[in-house]
Amino acid sequence: MRLELRGITKKFGSLTANDHIDLVVEPGQIHCLLGENGAGKSTLMNVLFGLLQADEGEILIDGEPVRLANSGDAVRRGIGMVHQHFMLVPVFTVAENVVLGFEPTRSLDRLDYARAREDIRSVSREFGLEVDPDAVVESLPIGLQQRVEIIKALGHDAQLLILDEPTAVLTPQEADALMTIMRSLAASGKSILFISHKLKEVRQVSDVITVIRAGRVIGSVPPSATEGELAAMMVGREVSLVVEKTAAAPAEPVLEVRDLVVRDDRGLAVVDGVSLEVRAGEIVALAGVQGNGQTELVEAITGLRHVESGTVRLAGRDVTNRSPREILDAGLGHIPEDRQRDGVVLSMSVADNMVLNTPRRAPFARRGTRNLRAVRDNAETLVESFDVRTSSVDAPLSSLSGGNQQKVIVARELSRPLEALVASQPTRGLDVGSIEYVHREIVRVRDEGHAVLIVSSELDEVMALGDRVAVMFQGRITGVVDPSTSREDVGLLMTGSVPAESR
Amino acid sequence: MTSRTRGLWDRYRSASPVTIALLALVLGLVVGAVIIVATTPAILNAWRGAFHSWGAPGHALKVTFDNVGAAYRSIVTGSIVDPPQFWHSVTTGRGWTASLTPLSETLTYAIPLVIASIAVGITFQTGLFNIGANGQAILGGVTGVAVATLVHLPTVIHLPLTLLAGIAGGVVGGAIPGLLKAYTGAHEVIVTLMFNYVASYFMLFCLLSTPLQLPNQTNAISRTMPGGTQLAPLFGTASGLRVNYGIVVALAVTVFALWLLDRSSIGFEFRVTGANPHAARASGINARRTLVTSFLISGGLAGLAGVTWVAGTTHYIDQNFLQGSAGIGFTAITVSLLGRNRPIGIVWGSLLFAALEVGGSNMQANTGIPYDLATVIQSAIVIFVATPVLVKEIFRLRALRAESVKVATAGWGS
Amino acid sequence: MTALAADAVAKVRQPLGRTQAIGWFVIVVGLFTVFGMGVGTGSAPRSTLTFTPIDVSHGAPWHLGNLTLPTEWTLVLLGAVIVGLGAEVLVRRLVKGAMVRVGLMAIVFLLAVLVWASRQPGPSQVPFINLTAILVGSAAITMILIYGSLSGILCERAGVVNIAIEGQFLGGYLVGEMIDSATNNWLLATVGGVVIGALMGWLLAFLAIRYLSDQIIVGVVIVTMFTGLASYFNSWVLTPYPNLNNGNIASNLAIPGLMKIPIIGPTFFDETGYFYLMMGLVGLVSFGLFRTRWGLRVRAVGEHPQAAASVGISVERTRYINVILGGAVAGVGGVAFAAIQGQFTPSITSGFGYIALAAMIFGRWRPSGAVAACTLFGVSAYLAYNLQSYQVPISTEILLMFPYLITIAVSAGLVGRVRPPAADGIPYSRE
Repeated sequence: MRLELRGITKKFGSLTANDHIDLVVEPGQIHCLLGENGAGKSTLMNVLFGLLQADEGEILIDGEPVRLANSGDAVRRGIGMVHQHFMLVPVFTVAENVVLGFEPTRSLDRLDYARAREDIRSVSREFGLEVDPDAVVESLPIGLQQRVEIIKALGHDAQLLILDEPTAVLTPQEADALMTIMRSLAASGKSILFISHKLKEVRQVSDVITVIRAGRVIGSVPPSATEGELAAMMVGREVSLVVEKTAAAPAEPVLEVRDLVVRDDRGLAVVDGVSLEVRAGEIVALAGVQGNGQTELVEAITGLRHVESGTVRLAGRDVTNRSPREILDAGLGHIPEDRQRDGVVLSMSVADNMVLNTPRRAPFARRGTRNLRAVRDNAETLVESFDVRTSSVDAPLSSLSGGNQQKVIVARELSRPLEALVASQPTRGLDVGSIEYVHREIVRVRDEGHAVLIVSSELDEVMALGDRVAVMFQGRITGVVDPSTSREDVGLLMTGSVPAESR
Repeated sequence: MTSRTRGLWDRYRSASPVTIALLALVLGLVVGAVIIVATTPAILNAWRGAFHSWGAPGHALKVTFDNVGAAYRSIVTGSIVDPPQFWHSVTTGRGWTASLTPLSETLTYAIPLVIASIAVGITFQTGLFNIGANGQAILGGVTGVAVATLVHLPTVIHLPLTLLAGIAGGVVGGAIPGLLKAYTGAHEVIVTLMFNYVASYFMLFCLLSTPLQLPNQTNAISRTMPGGTQLAPLFGTASGLRVNYGIVVALAVTVFALWLLDRSSIGFEFRVTGANPHAARASGINARRTLVTSFLISGGLAGLAGVTWVAGTTHYIDQNFLQGSAGIGFTAITVSLLGRNRPIGIVWGSLLFAALEVGGSNMQANTGIPYDLATVIQSAIVIFVATPVLVKEIFRLRALRAESVKVATAGWGS
Repeated sequence: MTALAADAVAKVRQPLGRTQAIGWFVIVVGLFTVFGMGVGTGSAPRSTLTFTPIDVSHGAPWHLGNLTLPTEWTLVLLGAVIVGLGAEVLVRRLVKGAMVRVGLMAIVFLLAVLVWASRQPGPSQVPFINLTAILVGSAAITMILIYGSLSGILCERAGVVNIAIEGQFLGGYLVGEMIDSATNNWLLATVGGVVIGALMGWLLAFLAIRYLSDQIIVGVVIVTMFTGLASYFNSWVLTPYPNLNNGNIASNLAIPGLMKIPIIGPTFFDETGYFYLMMGLVGLVSFGLFRTRWGLRVRAVGEHPQAAASVGISVERTRYINVILGGAVAGVGGVAFAAIQGQFTPSITSGFGYIALAAMIFGRWRPSGAVAACTLFGVSAYLAYNLQSYQVPISTEILLMFPYLITIAVSAGLVGRVRPPAADGIPYSRE
């Protein structure tokens, strides 16, 4: 299928998410759409998939203008989408998910499961995508779930596949397998629109790379372009992925985790005997594909999740299974992974958010009564010194941009007396300026002699920021390496195998 | 992103909550009028004849307006002031009791409503839904009357002790859903709903099978509270006006709630928990303690509402105490929503809804239209307040998909 | 936003610990039955069970003799059964089945109380327990609850919490009673119930889906509104026109042949049309939800609306249809209520709509589970209401609390054992 977008424009209020985007995907081509978070990629894809309506411009399929009023239209036109957050019903079987919306039926509206299974098997055979049609989706590993998404799209006879950030949740090996699948799909004549912000994989698999920035197409280049060129196109200036920092001067251990076992909500031991030590004045970066126990490890350290066995010590004190309150008071700063969920209250003011975890501490309150003047003064000071862009400290936090919301959290955590800082995905979804700012602040905390634990699924961030890099896989630490270790070797550790040289 | 959200926020604010509430009142009255028209034989008969002769539609319209007008006029004259009567008092200096009774009654009904609605509002602010305020108020009434009638003490401490007993009864009623939710996860909506029935039967039990029952009686009726435990009429018994010192209790509760929600640390924790329970947990707020405390305070205030009503007006309880349409719990929910769970908003909302109820009784006395219409109007008002976008659409205000009423309850969230 | 502490609690929850608590609780009740009630009565008293239906208008085709049992040993046996249920929970570490055992315990325990209360010589005025009458009486309450639960299932499977069932019962009751009184035609009354229930469902759907209002709050306010409206109607229309509120109780449609089966016949096959309609609806909803394309789409909308929307299913439309259908079913339930209960009074539904909702949760959002749960609640409620006639030395008022207390107890024991549809109660918006 040949897809052409002409002058697609989409506005949300005063924000122009897509500004006259032109794009052509030829049959059998893997076309990559490269751009930062917030560049307008997802909006464009939602327009293309009928989930949003463009304000201007037209979509042509095989030269013919089409109107996509909803995603059903898009699917009928042969467009399939593999969403970043899978559009699968967890409690349904693979077969039920694949046929949903296009169900084969027998009399009385009954579902024809036999035909559904057969259809899946034939797609599986044709494209080499094995999966059990009767497996319940939530019991499948992430990689297989993604495969179900692809089968679902192919099952609906998609000629153009949109893959939205498909590797974000995959191990490097699973990602490689996906690349192979993409190539074989392209070889069989399917067109693929591949959305990513990861330079390496983009160059690896694409036939054409189109870069968008701030809602506009910056240009199309062949995959032979260097990473530096692509990065410059993405962010509009030469960026250094290197964080400016001096060599670490590690002192005594501050955050000590020993033989930690933690279970997730389903009762599985997702942290399975982790030992880790973070010293004063160093940054330990925890790498790994999402979902290998990092989240639960951080929750256990911060007191948000029950520790089954093992210990967590902070500055010499045993804080295992203490309440979040006690652990915060013991001097642990925490920048949570999902900041809007765990870090802030969007409907409350900037000032209140600045004291969210210290509301009872002097001078913010005395004998149960808050001192609102002290709360405001504190916020004024922090807004000033951490350069938070807000109309006022009384403005609700929801009125701030994502980057400034994160700055509020950083300011709050760093203004408390700290022993150690735990930061999860501290730069996820932020613009380049905010990323650099947060990185600088983290290094500053280290240089002030605190212990810092960073958890990130961005390998670049881990390698740039960490003084030591610990890699986590399936609930265990598979290795602690120097940041100068090659990406390939770290990638191997992320899959549980031990690289040759460190064996 | 910044400018976009800020723009939304400003525009959302432009149709202020007060505007919405007033427009909702208008719509609620329209709904009430429609119901009167649809169910009143005189009006229906007029319209049935309206198409048989010239001039009859005009007559039908007149009948309609006369009936609806009479109904709503009696609501106003019964709850605020009856101008001719008032003018009579001003010119002759007599009949002041009759002139002031409507206002006095409205205030009398508003007293427990303010307290109970604040009780409900506090749980709403914590993200909890206390539908059991009625049951808690019943318990408060029962324990209050028990202490007043079965214990003999000097007035100075007997009255405070009676009120405290009411609070204690309500606290027990609040502790049940609070503790069950905290320690078993039972959904507070189901627990409090069921608890209302349990409390009613418990009251009946106390009225029939305990020393609380008026001696030598087979009916469900309690002893009468001794004078020293009653909240005396503000203007003396001789004035004939029922408005009583409960008003002081209601004001004190309002001030307490203002401090609690806006100025206290625990109130801050309530609000954080209500707005974002995840962030609350991560910020070291003890979720269990917060929700139990919120329910205890809420239950205690609801109990206080119950005892304040008994001590200020009836001075005894019987099987009809806070039953059926005399119940206070559901009205308190609607008032709290109307007042956006804020103490000052709740005071205004209570005055409005108390006026509707008192006026409703007057309407029934004057026109025969049942006072239950007041409940319908109240509910309609709250539905409109809870869907501000609908109000804006109806009145062609800047239509905008904004947040609906900001209260966090959940699915069954097990 | 979700209810706050639920997941906070869930994270530190240890299901086995709670299961043990439940097991021990059941055992204690069993021991009380054996030693508190059984052994205390001594060897003299006897209790008598009878099985002949009280209503012999159809001419009881069979007559089973009375069964006279030694009270003491019967209670010991029943107590032992309860202890056994508790032990089973403990030994088999039943997490999912624990609450079912609690429900069974409640029924056996109430039966034990009946046996104990009706002993002769003893205080009771009623010297026997009529088991068939108990089952027939329970069937009526159970039927009402099942209508409510089915309504809840239809709505919540699509992701909308329908807490307004109580109001829909009331609406259906009022309209059904008025139409029946005026026309003496239950078919028309049923149509009226469908219409009023559907309208109330539409109101909830309109506010919850179009305006994304909080579904629980809107539901509660709708109940308040219709409670007021029903009282208003009662005094403004029904009182001046009493012939609008004097309908008959619907007569039973006995199924020839089947009704002659002892005990089962009068319970299941000598019922009003509403009972058979309810059985048909249970089958239909079960089949529809889990076998058909319609059901797959409904469940997808309730579990993951974005996924459903991504394949072209209209979430709003699906939810509208289901909430309106659910309202209609509850409306019929209200008419059925009128059909067995007769005259309308404003507080007649006495919380059954809410109990039905609890039963739906207890039954894991499945028609079959809901039927089981409603039966538990129905039998317990009937027994509790009727213990009065046995001169039990417990106040009537305390006994009447029982259905509500058991609902509270069950909802406290359930959490973590049931999993609602993932998007239940969460407004869906496209952006």
